[in-house]
Amino acid sequence: MNLNFSSPLFLFGLLGVSIPVLIHLLTRRQQKQIRFSAVYLLAQSQKRSIRKSRPNRLLLLLARCLAIALFSLALANPLFSFRTTEGFLSTSPASIVFILDDSYSMGTRSKEKTLFDHALKHISEGLQHTPDNSEFSMVLASSPARIEQDWTSDKPAFANKLKAQAISFRTTHIGDTIAKAIKLLESAKQKKKKILLLTDLDKNGWKEETFSRVATPYPVQVLDFSPLQSDNNKGMVQSIQISQEFLTRSRLLRVKAEVKNFSSTVNRMSLSLFLEGKLVKEELLDIPPGQTLVQKFSYPLTRNQPLNGKAQISDDALPIDNSRYFPFHPSQNIQVLVVDGDPETISHQSESFYLERALNPFSVSLSHIDPTVSTLAELTLRNLSDFAVVILANVRELPPNYELELEKFVLNGGALLFGMGDQVDAKYFNEHLGNILPVKLEAQHRFKEDALHLLLKNNTHPVMRVFSPKALEEMRGINFYSMYTVQAREDKKFKVGTWFSNQHPAVIESETGKGIVVMFLSSLDRDWNDFPIQPTYLPWIQRWTQYAARGLENISQQNLLVGEPFRKNTTDNKWIIRAPDGTLHSLESEVFSDTFQPGIYRLFSIPPDDTVEHKALTKLPQGAEPIGTFTVNIDTQESEPGKISQKEIKNLLKGMELEFLDPKTQTTQSKTTDGIPLATPFLLMVAGMLLIEGWMVRKE
Amino acid sequence: MENSAQKLDAQILSRISTLKMNAMNLVEGLLTGQHRSRHKGSSVEFAEYKDYSPGDEIRHIDWKVAGKTDKYHVKQFEQSTNLKCTVLLDASGSMGYQPPLNEHPPKMECARNLVAALSYLLLKQFDAVGLTLFNEQVIEHIPPRSKASHFQHILHGLANISPQGTTRITDVLGGLSERLPRRSMLILVSDFFVQNQDLRKSLKLLCSRGLEVVLFHVLHPDEIHLPFEGDMIFESLEEDPAIGLDPQDVRDEYQNAIQHHINSLKKDCHGLGVDYVFLDTSEPLDQALSYYLLKRKSLIKL
Repeated sequence: MNLNFSSPLFLFGLLGVSIPVLIHLLTRRQQKQIRFSAVYLLAQSQKRSIRKSRPNRLLLLLARCLAIALFSLALANPLFSFRTTEGFLSTSPASIVFILDDSYSMGTRSKEKTLFDHALKHISEGLQHTPDNSEFSMVLASSPARIEQDWTSDKPAFANKLKAQAISFRTTHIGDTIAKAIKLLESAKQKKKKILLLTDLDKNGWKEETFSRVATPYPVQVLDFSPLQSDNNKGMVQSIQISQEFLTRSRLLRVKAEVKNFSSTVNRMSLSLFLEGKLVKEELLDIPPGQTLVQKFSYPLTRNQPLNGKAQISDDALPIDNSRYFPFHPSQNIQVLVVDGDPETISHQSESFYLERALNPFSVSLSHIDPTVSTLAELTLRNLSDFAVVILANVRELPPNYELELEKFVLNGGALLFGMGDQVDAKYFNEHLGNILPVKLEAQHRFKEDALHLLLKNNTHPVMRVFSPKALEEMRGINFYSMYTVQAREDKKFKVGTWFSNQHPAVIESETGKGIVVMFLSSLDRDWNDFPIQPTYLPWIQRWTQYAARGLENISQQNLLVGEPFRKNTTDNKWIIRAPDGTLHSLESEVFSDTFQPGIYRLFSIPPDDTVEHKALTKLPQGAEPIGTFTVNIDTQESEPGKISQKEIKNLLKGMELEFLDPKTQTTQSKTTDGIPLATPFLLMVAGMLLIEGWMVRKE
Repeated sequence: MENSAQKLDAQILSRISTLKMNAMNLVEGLLTGQHRSRHKGSSVEFAEYKDYSPGDEIRHIDWKVAGKTDKYHVKQFEQSTNLKCTVLLDASGSMGYQPPLNEHPPKMECARNLVAALSYLLLKQFDAVGLTLFNEQVIEHIPPRSKASHFQHILHGLANISPQGTTRITDVLGGLSERLPRRSMLILVSDFFVQNQDLRKSLKLLCSRGLEVVLFHVLHPDEIHLPFEGDMIFESLEEDPAIGLDPQDVRDEYQNAIQHHINSLKKDCHGLGVDYVFLDTSEPLDQALSYYLLKRKSLIKL
């Protein structure tokens, strides 16, 4: 049986019981002793007398005390239920899984500490009172959910493990955490099993799709620490967009920051712009309640150097979401030379028409690709070192000895993209471009009725990663009517990026020197396929261009969220990453997953022949050169102040025995839906007591 | 011990002299004539003629009258000096009630003065006076004497009283009734706080033996009105268990009970032809005494 109070503050009214007691004690008459002759007559009189004021006074006192006590209890809205509840401090041995919400919303301040600190303290104090043969395990609830401690009965070790826990910058993921906790409980030794969830009930972590059906119902005690927070999270920097504007002789950095006000009143907060750690701009914003305000900063750039910065709002209860980092690279446009081998008088019949629009679809460069269209005749006038990528589209023959220029360009790190077409002379290609091309062109094949398609079986290629399944499906539907078959050269290595449906390569790539050569074995205009008029053409050609360029731009465009892996787009060099906290990580694989701190990650390349032991890096090895940065920011979903209700939790954890505890009192919180409300009977009893009291006073 | 005994003696002597003074003052102020006895006997003072009847002494026949009237008449004389009076004073614990406020004299002081005054009065008219003190039994007995010096014995007996024990008035009266001289006078001074005792029966027994019984019912105003306030614990001066109560709660009931007690005693006395005198210690004793004497005077058949 259990008695809960939905407004327990009113229980302080019970102290009012002391008032009639005090009055009674203060007005109590002292008993005098007297030796009297006719005591037996007094005794007879007392027996006959109806008036008995002393017992009446005690009864009056009792009635008054009861009336006050019952009134206080009634105000506290008591709820009675027959369900027995047990607090965290179980008296009998039990297997307890602690689900510790270490998401960054738990970093909300509570006076000197954070909610997370309170949760840790709560577990530590609770551990001391648990029986010796109880066992504990710990699952961290930030995404991805992970078992931090398997079953152990060693309290000191568990306490040490707790001490080592720190708040993460991740979002909450309760669904997976519960699944892991249940799995742990299945292997628990003790008969008594339960899950103790210590969280702030941030709604972000309770997405319905992440909850699986509960097979075994275990008792779950939920401790909501959010009431402990001393203040609310007033706002956050939601996003940052960077652009630059060219003036006659200088350029401006434009930073567009979106700031959201979470409070219910107009919030005045300062927004500061930091560049390379220095405060450069500051504005005061008056943001309406619940609204987002966009603030633009302009900062003159004097040097043509990459910059890293952050936008930061004034301090509030949750400082983690008050900053957002951004990288900026002034020269991030990829200079592309598009060589049209078959320029037509009708523009849309030329390759350059499609390529130029695909690479730079608007007047202001948003793709960070700056194409320059050239004819074969003009090619010799161009300085190839001005370009990162050269696209040769439907080129029949290069100017004399120009293949040497191209070879030099590629060897020095340039990227060369070939597009086929009816002008392409296979014989010329095979004879003159043998040092550049990894394959020999065989013959052109036409498929008038039974058109070819792209296979796109696996999209693990860096270029194809961004394409959604729907986009890939659309790409598979594109008809290719003509293509070149190729034959591998013995001395060349190459990779096939994409296949045609007739099992012939569609895209071939090979690394030559520091550069890369990519061959698309169909046309880049509409002569041989419908690809250029498909929506996927634009991102496809842009991605291939960016991939081929392998410039710093690609890296710096990776503005990641906490936990998202950083992908390296080349395997030739060894890289070292310096995290925001200063730790160094050697990047030997293509993916760097340890992006759990928000901030600026700096990339360094080291010579390939470096023999430094990278696993225990304490300082950058000699010869390391900075090659770029990428930023990691928090996922702002966690900042949203919405809390999940007890009812919603019950729906999500159907079948579980749920109990909501108040961490302040360690008692079960009153639930408006559970139990029989006793306020009305208590008020009736108060009325009864007052009636009795009135009757007794009147009688006296 | 010697000092305390001497002190006691001094107190007693002081008390005796005070009693004597009080008694003499009272009596001298009151007496305007002699107290007359209701008992007739042989005396020098002619009272009346009575027709001779067999059994009468022949020497009391007035022969002169017989010569004139030819009828035998016997002379009768008034008996005025042969009264034997025993004063029975209750010395139980209840008589020792000491009023907390000292507004009125204690019961025992009043009773002492009364007995002393009565004794003085009786001795002054040459009647024999004795004193018997009792609680559950007779504590002290001073036989009746008519000598003037006997007053000192009475006073000494009165001065030595220290009230204690319970009142067993019926037992005491039962025992005394045999020993008391017939046709004598018995003055009973008490508060009559007795439980489960048939006082009426005892009085009836005394009356049947020809004793003239006078009851002095002495009560302190506290015992009549119960004027106390506040929570109190009443400890009994006799053997009753203590009781804690607020007098206010029981005052009405108590006053009714005490009135009932007085009235029933008065009624019993009236029924038996026993004189009943109620003495409230708040009232001056001479008033009560004179009232009683006047009352008696009016009853005497001269």
